[in-house]
Amino acid sequence: MKKSKFRRALAVLSAAALTATFTAGCGKEDDSADTVKVGLLHSLTGSMAISEKSVRDAEVLAIEEINAAGGVNGKQIVYVEEDGASEPSTFATKAEKLVDSEGVATIFGCWTSSSRKAVKPIVEEYDALLWYPVQYEGMESSSNIVYTGAAPNQQIVPAIDYLIEQGYTKFFLLGSDYVFPRTANMIINAQVANAGLEVVGEEYADMDQTDFAAIIAKIEAAQPDVIINTLNGTGNVSFFKQMSEKNYTSKEYMTMSFSIAEEEVATIGSDILQGHMVSWNYYQTTDTAKNSEFVSAYKEKYGEDRVTSDPAEAAYDAVYLWKAACEKAGSFEVDDVIAAIEAGDISYDAPEGMVTIKGDNHHLVKPVRIGQVGADGLINEIFSTDPVDPDPYLSTYDWAVKAGIQPLE
Amino acid sequence: MKLLKKQGDNICFAVIVIILALMPVFLKAGLLSGSSTVLFLGKCISFAIVAIGLDLIWGYTGILSLGHGLYFALGGYAMAMYLKLQETGGKITDFMHVGGLEELPLIWKPFNSFPLTLILIVLVPALAAYIIGYFIFKNRVKGVYFSIISQALTWAAYSIFIALSPYTNGNVGITEIKTIFGSIKGEAHQAEMFKLFYLALIILVLIYALAKFLVSRKFGKLLIAIRDGENRTYFSGYKVSAYKTFIYVLSAVIAGIAGAVFVNFNGSITPSQMTISYSITMVIWVAVGGRGTIIGAVIGAFLINLCEYNLSSGSMVEIWQYIIGAVFCVVIIFFKGGIVGIVKEQLPALIRKIKGKPAETAAKEVS
Amino acid sequence: MAQFVNTLFNGLSLSSIILLTSLGLAITFGLMRVINMAHGEFVMIGAYTTYVVQEIFKSVFPESMRDIYYFAAIPAAFAVTFLLGSLLERFVIQRLYGREIDSLLATWGISLILQQAARSIFGTQGVNVTAPSFLNGGATVGGCTFSYNRLFIIFMVALCLLLVWFIMYKSNFGKQMRAVMQNRTMAQCMGINSRRVDNITFAIGSGLAGIAGCSVALLGSIDSTVGQSYIVNSFMAVVLGGVGKLSGTVIGSAIIGSASIFTENYTSSTIAKAIVLLIVIVFLQKRPQGLFVIKSRNLDE
Repeated sequence: MKKSKFRRALAVLSAAALTATFTAGCGKEDDSADTVKVGLLHSLTGSMAISEKSVRDAEVLAIEEINAAGGVNGKQIVYVEEDGASEPSTFATKAEKLVDSEGVATIFGCWTSSSRKAVKPIVEEYDALLWYPVQYEGMESSSNIVYTGAAPNQQIVPAIDYLIEQGYTKFFLLGSDYVFPRTANMIINAQVANAGLEVVGEEYADMDQTDFAAIIAKIEAAQPDVIINTLNGTGNVSFFKQMSEKNYTSKEYMTMSFSIAEEEVATIGSDILQGHMVSWNYYQTTDTAKNSEFVSAYKEKYGEDRVTSDPAEAAYDAVYLWKAACEKAGSFEVDDVIAAIEAGDISYDAPEGMVTIKGDNHHLVKPVRIGQVGADGLINEIFSTDPVDPDPYLSTYDWAVKAGIQPLE
Repeated sequence: MKLLKKQGDNICFAVIVIILALMPVFLKAGLLSGSSTVLFLGKCISFAIVAIGLDLIWGYTGILSLGHGLYFALGGYAMAMYLKLQETGGKITDFMHVGGLEELPLIWKPFNSFPLTLILIVLVPALAAYIIGYFIFKNRVKGVYFSIISQALTWAAYSIFIALSPYTNGNVGITEIKTIFGSIKGEAHQAEMFKLFYLALIILVLIYALAKFLVSRKFGKLLIAIRDGENRTYFSGYKVSAYKTFIYVLSAVIAGIAGAVFVNFNGSITPSQMTISYSITMVIWVAVGGRGTIIGAVIGAFLINLCEYNLSSGSMVEIWQYIIGAVFCVVIIFFKGGIVGIVKEQLPALIRKIKGKPAETAAKEVS
Repeated sequence: MAQFVNTLFNGLSLSSIILLTSLGLAITFGLMRVINMAHGEFVMIGAYTTYVVQEIFKSVFPESMRDIYYFAAIPAAFAVTFLLGSLLERFVIQRLYGREIDSLLATWGISLILQQAARSIFGTQGVNVTAPSFLNGGATVGGCTFSYNRLFIIFMVALCLLLVWFIMYKSNFGKQMRAVMQNRTMAQCMGINSRRVDNITFAIGSGLAGIAGCSVALLGSIDSTVGQSYIVNSFMAVVLGGVGKLSGTVIGSAIIGSASIFTENYTSSTIAKAIVLLIVIVFLQKRPQGLFVIKSRNLDE
């Protein structure tokens, strides 16, 4: 007799659990007249949290600054934060939650290409807007995404051009085994072949590789004079530490890295990285008035020991660019904002210099900077260009077109 | 009353199903904040399905697989490839082109056809599980050894999927796919979404019925016998390894089906669905819900995912990790029966204690 | 020739790292039958302890004395993880003896908590441990560079091994330990405090993970997920060697380590990882109990 009662209780309990969803899901219609809701979608847990936290921090900083200065179109920004947990399908689920249930005006989010690719169909089908703040492999241009990081021709291509100009002839391509390094190396292969030079080796490390001895042995055997490094965060630390224990510095093997920013320098150690080259659009040392404001605001909010980096800066820009687009459109409606963006003259005087959203492909016009790691752990600019027009498909580069790296469609 | 006592699990399941079935109605009535809730519940249905499969092998047979994500992903990839080929019209996909392939590789060719895809969703996990299970169980690898091997196996499979990126698109997986009913997102496609949702619900009910049917027969008793005394069962003349292989293959097939359902709601499949941590998460659902009771797996899958969906945002993220870790730890240590166990055993005991009934009468009452 | 020596050294080095991370497991899993999924997190704690000790030395001692931090970090890492291991045993593991599979799941929960704790305390970004200057670089002999780091780690493994061997087979405590593990009731009858023995044994196992953390900190990144990259290989090494035998774990680590380096010479590291794991799994089909089997007449063992 007793037992049946508790079985009933069990039923009630599970029913309650189910109802919990929609009670939690609904009734959040507190869209008061003077706020606008945006979503932040980054990995706060899991293996990608290492990188994404600083991007998220920069976005929050920009939002707070804008709010303090009076908001956007007279409205204060409220942000809803979701955790992507370093897992693409969680990103998809959470993106859907943000655009559909939370009804956010836009999302600032993602880091890895896999998370972006998982979110892309969501924002397209719901006609939402995603601001993606990281340099990436290109070959994509969605009308519902604005890419505020570098396209390949704003980071990879000019870096290789620079190396060729400096007289490097034998290239070794080293990357983690995922989409960015694979696509980047495909581009570099075509570019190096076009210059009549040689790629002497191409290696991919496992995503959580901790021992690089075998790979270093392969590099020694190939005798390159420059290593093009597209390893991800933790891989970089192991690789450079293990290079240095073999007495290799930038004198023996110069590297050009596409994923090492100021934060990574801090975790690897400037003593090891000193003299190695990187390619970005922004460094903490970039000499603009806006940048010194940004750096000091960032440090004031998050601590003196924190450093700013290219992805963080691109994320910061994203929020301001969204503000500019909304103000131009005079609305928060995604269609209006996209229309304003596609009109082609949304620009912002960013820490890296003036950036403008190219209306036809949703990427930014931005300057390229080649940097070298200094003894103090900061990256110093050794070469820079005027703002470069984004070309995600590399369709204006003959060698790229010839090599057929463009996607099918 | 007697019916309720005997059918408590089933009644509870019926309640869950009815609530789920009403979700589209709630959505129409404006009680839900958006169709994303329904889509998320669709994913939960697929999780509940894989949890039932896990419960069959772990809760009933005592085989803890830390690699069911592999079968989930195999089913998922099969379905995803069919849907992707629908998009491209049977032609080579973008990532294959980038990987240097000229035409559709042979292994993906069958996925042009829908019936063949459905067969393969069942067949591929079944075959993989059969090969693995046959050798492992024949050689009488058991207990934690099996768990550790299954974990290593999943890791190896994960690496292979990453390394063969021209065929699998590496860690991006297969993305930008619609569903078997076409697009389901947005107001205009609500009918398709409901169709898909009800289809998933029907699959859940069928799998639940199948599992219930199996465990209520002699077969189910045998599974429990294997769990509680493998050697005794062996000496009683049963071919333990065959039973184990069968139930392992069955649960792999269930996981594959779940993966196929999941892909439809998720719109993508990535290798992260076959990681060790994802596989262990699946075990957590079963453990928290209550192992060895099919309903427990269903409850656990829904409860954990719903909590995670609602709690892992904003400032709760940090706390959520502590909560899930602690809950899991406490459930394993103190409440082996999970939620179902608490409701069925601990709670009555507690209430008896409060009421101050003498132990004997309480014992009599239970019996 | 130089290349061959190089490969050999790399294999030896990787084997020693795997051995160091699995030595603790060989004790907790091999002797106590506890599957500690949080073992990787103890490695992480050891690495973070090294970082903390380094930071303390940086702020307290003058520049010239900084290198000695590492000598303080090793015992500190051992002490911290030993203590945490003891606490974990007292409050969690103790309730799970004889429930192997449950111990695996419960410690997975612990590992989630520890990872989040690391993120909450040290932030999500990795931290940097600078190798002491006497471990910087390497010695070049006949075209091969032997890095001091790796030589030091090999030395450390040998030392740990010797210590564990001594504790287990030569000391009084080791006798008690083996007695409790082999026949608990009998040992209790002989007046051995089995609770205390359990506790210390588990703590030693965790402490060894701490030392492992100290050495992997020299080679790679230190962040909340560092433990995860070592755990599977460590378990495989213990299982391959045969549970319950120290020498088995040594051989198991050596096989996995050198096989990984050797295969990686011919293929990409992702494929190499898969191949090595598959080979081990296939091998375990032949000998499900591992290379070295403790003979037992008990059917259920």
